[in-house]
Amino acid sequence: MGKLFTFVGLGVVLALALLLAVVAGDYGPWYFAWIVGTVMIVLIAGCGAVMYDAQHENGTGEI
Amino acid sequence: MPLIDPSVVDLSRLQFALTALYHFLFVPLTLGMTFLLAAMETVYVITGKQIYKDMTQFWGKLFAINFAIGVATGLTMEFEFGTNWSMYSHFVGDVFGTPLAIEGLMAFFMESTFIGLMFFGWDRLSRPGHLAVTYLTALGSNLSALWILVANGFMQNPQGASFNPDTMRMEFNSFLKLVFSEDAQAKFVHTSIAGFVTGALFVMGISAFYILRKQHRELAARSFRMAALFGIISSLAVVTLGDALGRLDYLVQPTKIAAIEGLWQDSAANGSAASAPWLLFALPDQAKQTNYAEIGVPYVLDPLIAHSFNTNIPGLISLEQQAGPRIAKGIVALNALQAYGKDHDAAALATFKANESDMGYGFLAQRYAPNQDLNLITPANQGAIIAQAEKDTIPNVPVTFWSFRIMMALGFFFVGLFAFAAFYSLKNQLERHPLLLKLCVWSIPLPILACEFGWITAEAGRQPWSVYGYLPTFQAASSHGLGYMVFSLIGFALLYSAFIAAELYLMFKFARLGPQPHHAAAPEATPAPMFATPAE
Ligand code: HEM
Repeated sequence: MGKLFTFVGLGVVLALALLLAVVAGDYGPWYFAWIVGTVMIVLIAGCGAVMYDAQHENGTGEI
Repeated sequence: MPLIDPSVVDLSRLQFALTALYHFLFVPLTLGMTFLLAAMETVYVITGKQIYKDMTQFWGKLFAINFAIGVATGLTMEFEFGTNWSMYSHFVGDVFGTPLAIEGLMAFFMESTFIGLMFFGWDRLSRPGHLAVTYLTALGSNLSALWILVANGFMQNPQGASFNPDTMRMEFNSFLKLVFSEDAQAKFVHTSIAGFVTGALFVMGISAFYILRKQHRELAARSFRMAALFGIISSLAVVTLGDALGRLDYLVQPTKIAAIEGLWQDSAANGSAASAPWLLFALPDQAKQTNYAEIGVPYVLDPLIAHSFNTNIPGLISLEQQAGPRIAKGIVALNALQAYGKDHDAAALATFKANESDMGYGFLAQRYAPNQDLNLITPANQGAIIAQAEKDTIPNVPVTFWSFRIMMALGFFFVGLFAFAAFYSLKNQLERHPLLLKLCVWSIPLPILACEFGWITAEAGRQPWSVYGYLPTFQAASSHGLGYMVFSLIGFALLYSAFIAAELYLMFKFARLGPQPHHAAAPEATPAPMFATPAE
């Protein structure tokens, strides 16, 4: 049941994102670019941290 | 209507510039830090590792100091529109007040509420719940900026309003045009991402300080890595978006772009627009309308500004001449408006409507008209009056030219700095490059400096207008006495300097102190990760 809710929840987010993309892409291309860009910047920064942990599991301890 | 004492106008401008520049020392850090905190907390929630919670809380503390003092400096500015710029508020209050009210009522309250939950909700909210709050705080602070920039976008390129000759002011007619104006959009993304650069360099610089001193290594190395990646993309974005803003200026504020580029003659003045140089260095002379000691790169200006190889970009001298006929039409428009105001004469209204688009230019002539009365302009004195008023249509070129160049040079410097920082962090070789780390520490204030110069470019370049093409700045001020202005200016300068001293003291104190061990007495059990097994 929980998985179903997660699935439905993410589906709603996807639908909203598509709606936003269509509307904002037409009227507010810069705003849309900001939303996409900010999400990307946050995710890449987060990936960098996860990568750091992976590198340091067996690393030399050098930073 | 008599003109306001020019010294009062100058002091009002100085006061607004001072309070805005002071306020903007705090804003960019808030805009950027919130999303960086959100990124750190996201990693905490996903991996369940305590170190990321510690990072979020430690950087959150520094963010809180900045936020609290930043808010205090921002509040006065909204009142300044009413106290020092009452003509402006009357003329465009209907339009301008809307985004300011939304900012105050929606974004600011949203931001403040969620900030409270963010700081005091760690033990009260679930992990995903707290993460959502952190994202909402980030969104709220950037939405606050959005509404202010929508308002400022209107001053640069008025959209969504029209002048009503019956009420003698601009009235709102399209919310969507106001919010989706290209200027508002481009300004928002450039400014918000400039904040991201500021936040990233702040975190990276303090982390570099810890790495150099071999303190808090775990926290510093991870923070450095995240900030470097956050910063490299943001700095690339701020440069790209800056280019877009420049092109927009070319389309809607030709005098500003010509001043930014120190372009006195048309770009095609030497026969080919394509070969016009882009100036790396020059000493513009406003009085002689020329540059000294020019160092330029040929064939760059046209593609950079007009995105083409054969478009003539008008220079300041021809823009000044083009303003002449507009000033003449503006005089007709204002005289017709005055006549219409007296007896609602339909013919006067028709004359006004025919010349309405140049109304703002008519105001520029008022300064030079006999007794400052446009009705006293005759065919005999009109030529001389227009020639004087024409000179006022271009902004201060040296200030605009150099503030733009400093901002831009810093932009490229940040790209280089973040690129090296990210590269060596990804290779885990930061400690082998102490010079780079020192450079990161010393660079902490530079993005704030770039932002300040950005605002000087945008606002000095908009002169002589408070609303581009509609209302000159000298017509927009309140008619205060000189003493009042001097007194309030000194008061603001002292108060705001005290705020800055408090901020610097607290920042240095807490940054030197570093992260405090949390829950030393009763260590928190490592929470289960949401999506992954922690490797600790
Ligand atoms: C190559 C780099 C850059 C270019 C081409 C650029 C371009 C511009 C332009 C043309 C403006 C004036 C906008 C107007 O007419 O209203 C501006 C304003 C501004 N810039 Fe930059 N910029 C660059 C880098 C930066 C950097 C690195 C920062 C800060 C970290 C920054 C922060 C600002 C701010 C705060 C403003 C005022 C707000 C605004 O008008 O959006 N810029 N920039």
